Amino acid sequence: MARYFWRTGFMLACLLILTSCVGKREIDDLAMVMGVGLDLVEAENGEQHVKVTAQIARPADARGQTGAPSGQTGEPIWTISATDKSIFGAIRKLGSASSRRIFWAHSYVIVINEDLAKNGIKDIIDFFIRNPELRMRTWVAVTPDNASELVSSLTGLEVIPGQSIDGLFRYSKITRSAPRTQMIDLHAAYLSDSTELYLARLKLESNEISNKQPEQGEKQKNITLAGTGVFKGDKLIGTLSAKETRSLLLFVEDVKSGVGIVKCQDDESKFSTFELVHETLKVTPDYKNGKPEFTLTVRTTAKLVETDCTIGFDDDDKIAELETDIENELKSDVTNMLDKVQNEFGVDILEAGNVFNNEHPSEWKELRNNWNSHFEKAAIHLNMDVKLKSGALLFKPTTSGKKVDQ
Amino acid sequence: MKYKITNGMYMALIINMLYPKAIGITQGSIAREVGSDMWISTLVATLLALLIFWLLVVVIQRIPELDIIDHSKVLFGPLFSKLVSLIMFIYFVLSFGPIMVTFVYHLKDFFLPDAPVILFIVVAVIVGSYAVYFGIEVIARISLIGLFCIILLNTLLIIGSLEDFDIRELLPVFEFGITSPILASRHHLADWSIVMMMCLVILPTVNNDEGWRRSSMFGVIFSLIFVVMWPILETGVLTSQVTSQYLVACMQMARSAHIGFFLHRYEMVMIAFFGISVLTQITIALLCASVCFSKLFGSKKYHPAILPSAIIMGAYGYWVVLNHNRAMGILENSWVTYSLSITLGIIGFMWIIGFFMKKKIKNAK
Amino acid sequence: MPTNLELKMKQQLSENIDANINTINSLLEDNDDLVIRTFYLQFQQEIKCIMFYLEGIVNANKIDSTLHDLMSYRSANKATENQESSNKELAESIQKHLSHNSSVMVCSNIRDGITAILNGDCLCIIDQSDQGLCVSSKGGDKRAVEEPMSEQVVRGPRDGFTEDIRTNTALVRRRIKDVRLKMEGLKVGTSTQTTINISYISGVVKKGLVEEVKQRLNKINIDGILESNYIEELIRDAPYSPFSTVMNTERPDKVAAALLEGRVAIFVDNTPFVLVVPVNFWDFLQASDDYYLHYLTGTFIRWVRYVAFIISLTLPSIYVLLTSFHQEMIPTALALTIASGREVIPFPVLFEAIVMEIIFELMREAGLRMPKPIGQAVSIVGSLIIGQAAVQAGVVSPFMVIIVALTGISSFAIPNFSAAYSIRLTRFPLLIASGTLGLLGFIGMFFILAIHAVSIRSFGESYLAPATPFKPSDQKDFVVRFPWWGMNRRPQLASGKGVRQATKKPTPPQEEENSNKGSSSVIEAGKYISHEKADDNSKRGRKQRKTIKLADLVASKNKNDQDNRK
Repeated sequence: MARYFWRTGFMLACLLILTSCVGKREIDDLAMVMGVGLDLVEAENGEQHVKVTAQIARPADARGQTGAPSGQTGEPIWTISATDKSIFGAIRKLGSASSRRIFWAHSYVIVINEDLAKNGIKDIIDFFIRNPELRMRTWVAVTPDNASELVSSLTGLEVIPGQSIDGLFRYSKITRSAPRTQMIDLHAAYLSDSTELYLARLKLESNEISNKQPEQGEKQKNITLAGTGVFKGDKLIGTLSAKETRSLLLFVEDVKSGVGIVKCQDDESKFSTFELVHETLKVTPDYKNGKPEFTLTVRTTAKLVETDCTIGFDDDDKIAELETDIENELKSDVTNMLDKVQNEFGVDILEAGNVFNNEHPSEWKELRNNWNSHFEKAAIHLNMDVKLKSGALLFKPTTSGKKVDQ
Repeated sequence: MKYKITNGMYMALIINMLYPKAIGITQGSIAREVGSDMWISTLVATLLALLIFWLLVVVIQRIPELDIIDHSKVLFGPLFSKLVSLIMFIYFVLSFGPIMVTFVYHLKDFFLPDAPVILFIVVAVIVGSYAVYFGIEVIARISLIGLFCIILLNTLLIIGSLEDFDIRELLPVFEFGITSPILASRHHLADWSIVMMMCLVILPTVNNDEGWRRSSMFGVIFSLIFVVMWPILETGVLTSQVTSQYLVACMQMARSAHIGFFLHRYEMVMIAFFGISVLTQITIALLCASVCFSKLFGSKKYHPAILPSAIIMGAYGYWVVLNHNRAMGILENSWVTYSLSITLGIIGFMWIIGFFMKKKIKNAK
Repeated sequence: MPTNLELKMKQQLSENIDANINTINSLLEDNDDLVIRTFYLQFQQEIKCIMFYLEGIVNANKIDSTLHDLMSYRSANKATENQESSNKELAESIQKHLSHNSSVMVCSNIRDGITAILNGDCLCIIDQSDQGLCVSSKGGDKRAVEEPMSEQVVRGPRDGFTEDIRTNTALVRRRIKDVRLKMEGLKVGTSTQTTINISYISGVVKKGLVEEVKQRLNKINIDGILESNYIEELIRDAPYSPFSTVMNTERPDKVAAALLEGRVAIFVDNTPFVLVVPVNFWDFLQASDDYYLHYLTGTFIRWVRYVAFIISLTLPSIYVLLTSFHQEMIPTALALTIASGREVIPFPVLFEAIVMEIIFELMREAGLRMPKPIGQAVSIVGSLIIGQAAVQAGVVSPFMVIIVALTGISSFAIPNFSAAYSIRLTRFPLLIASGTLGLLGFIGMFFILAIHAVSIRSFGESYLAPATPFKPSDQKDFVVRFPWWGMNRRPQLASGKGVRQATKKPTPPQEEENSNKGSSSVIEAGKYISHEKADDNSKRGRKQRKTIKLADLVASKNKNDQDNRK
């Protein structure tokens, strides 16, 4: 009995050890992709092909000298591209140019060129969702520039551009110039029966001053967050500017801080700037005469951060006036955005359908099939409630001490 | 089986037997039918299961020293008991399909896509047989470790996904009417049927037969607590549409969990915990099958039956898992029908027949 | 067929002194350390006596005083007065009347005499008497009680066991002054005749446990026991298992604690390691410090040790499976760092890990075996070579050095040496499984290890208790070390459900400003009553006691109020 036991044990051990190590790949045999760019290119025969650009990190250069001597090329990234009919085809071609196995899991960002996005991104979503290696928390963005150029340009303080794009998104809660769209949101929004897709928009902007030739001004290009790309189905139909995005984010994300700029009451050429904290938006759906209606209530606390006017915090009436000014300012922002979304694009990216579904599930069943057109016609009422509570550190206005006779 | 297990272990066995498949694959199947009402279906199935559990305990409590096969022997003689043990054995072989689907698809599709399926089956069967060799007591103790892993896994998942939880996704309750969630609960009830069949075999080994009813009830309720969290989070975080798109929805859930920005993709930790639980399930299924197999041939010890039943079950599991399409077809259609009819058939029949054969039961006591 | 030797051993002492001398000489021939001293008893007539002892294992002073007694005491004559007729019972009368030694035995056959000599006593044979005297003179050089080398504590007693069994039992006796403390003795080893003491507190120890231990010890048939591990391996439950199911310790306080918990200690002569059975796995992760420090501190360091256990078991495997199978699970920044360290390494991670683990064990072993001054040199050279040169040469990645060092340090944090070793051994199968099959291998091997650990029993107790099987009442000394006033009962492995201690949670005395004098005295009275009742009902436990106290309090207060009204 014992002999049989050992014999079977030995055979099973052989089986396991000989069949194993499949799928084994050492970490140093991987070309870790940090960012992916997707462009639309025209092939020679006139077909439209996809160009996949991969920004691959050179670990040794990206991390400096960690003990062992290694290839100090000074270039932390290595960018290659390939073109083919399908994304997978292009990726396979990339592999033929790389000495290491291309590994997509660590990609920080996927950037899609707007021309490609206009043709539809369904295959892109499907490809990146289907693959078990990929993370669901990869940032996805569209760009008006060449995605390949965007992906291969060094930007920000980080050594690896992908990492700096990641940083842009991470701390975007304060600037709010683009939505924080990750693969998982993209996937959910695409599958949703009410909400349409929107993606962050990245742009190359010349805003970096070269240290070597500072006299030339802002020559070097950097990647910047620049608004939102709005989709209908899987096709890009338009963009929202960074300013409009700020209003959009009220609907779709919890925002940390915003900015309101108001003209001074006594001098139209001067401005006061307020930081808006604790901005909350409540959407109340309603159903009247066969039409959906929405009432939006925005509550926020404002904080004076910079002013050219004389504002003290000792005058309640003035503060109330200021509050109305900020309210109007905010209102016009939101209305502009709503106008663009409702009338120009005619798509529900505000999750309005979802809210409506929650409150009126039975009516939703009638409207669901043609929701975008209903959304287009929906009346939206806007209530603003701004509370001005503090002037940061100062209580009295900053005025010059020199007295001038008038 | 001379060993006795405590009531706490019994509850842990119930939870371990239910949990692995119920949280992901079943929820996917339910989501495909009822969208965001997954949790209602889960709840309904659990309530039904509570009822059937009551019947089951009543049946076994008539002669608390004997399992269901010996019950049938007392009531109808050895030939009938052979039939019952054959049915039970076939049931457990069939149950290995969904169990292996759970085990293999979790590990293979998400972690080792290049490894051959046979490897997973072999590992599962070897580990399972090794554990079965030590008997119910050891398995019951392992199930406590499994329970501990389940608790850790649930905690990790809650921590990782509460931030993205959106209650609005859950809200329109009964989106597809009231009947469809009840109907869809059959998927989860099929998970429960494995647990019930296990209890028919192992209940006599549980200490203190007066506490059976109570501990079964608590076992079911605890399982509900551990399981129902998943459909609620899956709807709130992933949305029901995404859940329905995946074969293994809970892995998608685990994949999207993240603690802060740095700690994302810690699904490996979770799956390591999950692995203990699912291996426990495999072990219990193997044990029950080999007990039935040995009773089929009238042998008193189940040890010689481990190897043949492991091979049969492994082969069946391999066949099911090999093809995703076939696996899902079996899982969502034939498995539900067969498992529910066998379980309900056996329990119901034994329950009703017990009223007519009180004398025989008395004599047996 | 009994050999010549056995025949000789069986012989009775004869009245002929020369015959006896011949027999003993022939048995103990070729022994340079055998001392044969001839002298005469100073009676009416001089009686020839011969004393045998082995030099080195006897206490020379005792021999001197014995000789002094026998040779110079004139009063001894009285001893012989009554039995002038026969010298036969002389030995007995000397035993009773004469010698100053604390333990003098009369022996009548060769075997007893020889055994006494070999045990360090001296044998006197008297002319014309068929009885000899075995005078206790055990002695020789012993190591003094020192601080235990293998288990050191910051706070706690500093004495450790020595090689001498009597010193060891004394160290425990000094701690437990209980009539129920038993030290049953037996001898094991046909050549070594090693003394073994089975120690337990009767009434606290579970029924049958001592019998089981004795039975297993009696089954042993071996020529020699040189260390307690011989015994351990011969009586343990799972002979093939890498986990040890018998605890060994150098600390008398640990043994005393174990005895109070209802365990059995096995003292073995000539070794400072005392065995304790039964044990759970978790006992190996608990140090005596846990109980000597503040309970929060104790709990915290216990957790640190649990973490150390997990690290030393799994960390290399997790690193290997992450870097060679599941790179997508590593946070990106960390993945880049690891990759940059591995850029120039020519070996696969699994190979690197195994080699480094072996090198680490090599350095540890070499450092241990070397004489102390050189041992330090070994560790310096080793750390320089491995830590610096190998990394700079690009043979080993710096991350692997960190992993191996962490694993090593963690395994040193496990208080019991043999347990640390078993964990070190079990991590190799885990490492190989996860290096070849990735996560699947890790889970599978971990499950097998878990099943194995769960299936083991140590003298009837489940090895992984109180975790699994879950024992609610034993949780007070498992993950959290409850304060002493909270641990009322003995662990379940002790017999019955005896209350171990009945101290209440210490509370400062009630301040007098807060309550007027009358009510404070009432409370005092209530306390007093409650104490008395508690002693009566100590078996009923704390809760009940509290209710009694409350009831008394209310009753006496009511009474007081009524008195006041009157």
